[in-house]
Amino acid sequence: MGATLTVAWREYASFFRSSIGWLVIALYLFLSGLWFAYDSITPGQPASMRALFSVSQWLLLIVAPAISMRLLSEELRSGTIEPLMTAPISDWHIVIGKYLAALAFLITMLLPTLVHVGVIELLASPDYGPILAGYLGLVFVGACYLAVGLFFSSLTRNQIVAFLSTLFFFMLLVFISSPNVAALVDEPFRSLLFGLSINLRIADFAKGVFDTSHAAFFLAFVVLFVVLSVVGVESRRWR
Amino acid sequence: MIEVDHAHKSFGKVHAVRGVSFSVPKGSVVGVLGPNGAGKSTTIRMITGTVPPTRGSVRVDGLDSIDQSLKVRRRLGYLPESNPLYPEMRVADFLAFRARLFGLLGKARKAGVDRAISRCWLDDVRSRRVGQLSKGYRQRVGLAAAMLHDPPVLILDEPTSGLDPAQIAETRQLIRELAGDHTMLIVSHILPEVEKSCDRLLIFARGRIQADGSADDLLRDLAQRQGFAVEVKAANGDPKTSMQAIAHIEQVESDPNGRSGDGWHALRVIVDKAAADPGAVIGGACRELGLTVRSLRPATATLEALYIRLVEQADKATAKVSEQRKPEGEAA
Repeated sequence: MGATLTVAWREYASFFRSSIGWLVIALYLFLSGLWFAYDSITPGQPASMRALFSVSQWLLLIVAPAISMRLLSEELRSGTIEPLMTAPISDWHIVIGKYLAALAFLITMLLPTLVHVGVIELLASPDYGPILAGYLGLVFVGACYLAVGLFFSSLTRNQIVAFLSTLFFFMLLVFISSPNVAALVDEPFRSLLFGLSINLRIADFAKGVFDTSHAAFFLAFVVLFVVLSVVGVESRRWR
Repeated sequence: MIEVDHAHKSFGKVHAVRGVSFSVPKGSVVGVLGPNGAGKSTTIRMITGTVPPTRGSVRVDGLDSIDQSLKVRRRLGYLPESNPLYPEMRVADFLAFRARLFGLLGKARKAGVDRAISRCWLDDVRSRRVGQLSKGYRQRVGLAAAMLHDPPVLILDEPTSGLDPAQIAETRQLIRELAGDHTMLIVSHILPEVEKSCDRLLIFARGRIQADGSADDLLRDLAQRQGFAVEVKAANGDPKTSMQAIAHIEQVESDPNGRSGDGWHALRVIVDKAAADPGAVIGGACRELGLTVRSLRPATATLEALYIRLVEQADKATAKVSEQRKPEGEAA
């Protein structure tokens, strides 16, 4: 546990020592804030954060791979993976530490949006249940994006390749699980494709519905790709 | 302390290391020499456990470098060749990070970091960012990181690369200080460096160890093999053939580097190992044959000459093997 946290802390701090970390936070807050101001702060709109949540889900599709692309690729490119792999820690420590750092960074990035909740509170009386569920949904979907991003970054020393692979993966997932495409195949494949849909699950969270089956799906998704990332790192020893 | 037993590593069809065996006893300092692509770094990586051998085994302190990798890594301090560091980190923070990875906590960590900083002369730059340091300072940071946890075995790949002469001397001094209670492997291209700091040399070429011994032994052996440069004048006949007939004289050939002409012959004479005093054997032979001798001196044996000779031999041997294989390939 100590080694995992050591790796995680170094990684988390390095986000703030590099310009990319601040850039990602600034862009996300600017665009999500713009959307919130345009869509939610309008007379007659319900006092909710739904606009912010729905745009964030799409912004994260770009922002999360930008966070995760450097996690292992940068170590592979600069060669710092070698001292890490000769330290008396397992590949699990390295990979889980990296993942926790990225997740912590994502949550740090989301925290300032709580200001918007304050704004709504000033103007009206919001229902806090859906807001909590919405944030939980964002963290879940971000966690999925980061896990896949981590996996692709374990395979290449090129950050751009890691970024684009992650983006492409989720674009493809959105496409094949969209209602129009899924309707083209017969059961049971149709249900399977719908089941893979991150959008449908996140929509429930945005409505304020907390479904444990969705939580289990996201958790399993994250575990799968973290394990694959460990395999990706470990395979370097055998190549 | 380190036992490498018939370790072989191939990457696909490329055989990087071909069945290398050697052992390093506790407390000795061994220099590893060889051209690029000779298999040095792969051998080092098999010891550190980052590259498992395809065949054979590597043990450190009796522990298998793959099966007991974590225990082995605790005993190793390793400075990789390119000395990769995190440029955005400050020197002291980086060293504290490495210390934590090696399980040093609280006071032990602080003591380890302070000791490494003072031993590697990093006091002036402890709160500077690694990326802003000169190459010499970065190299010292890498060295400090390798010795933080006071490991019994230190593996240093090109420890003085990028250092100026004064820093090289300081680093050599540090290596000598550490030599007493550490087992060390030092990989280098710089021949005088290993000649001065190592008890024993391993010369790699083409994935094999071509020579293994102390610098003195290897040079004596080379001197014997290189023989003597002799310049003689014969009244009649070819001194080359007549000398060849004398007892103990193994080989006589023309020396292209000597001054021939005007009746003088520049020769290179190799005396067999049985002769106690090779110079006396050649002198006696010249007297017996009635040759006039202008000069007689042992060919200079330097580590550089040895290195070049071994590398050339290995290259020739490989070329021969591939030539022999060619017709078979064509037949197939």
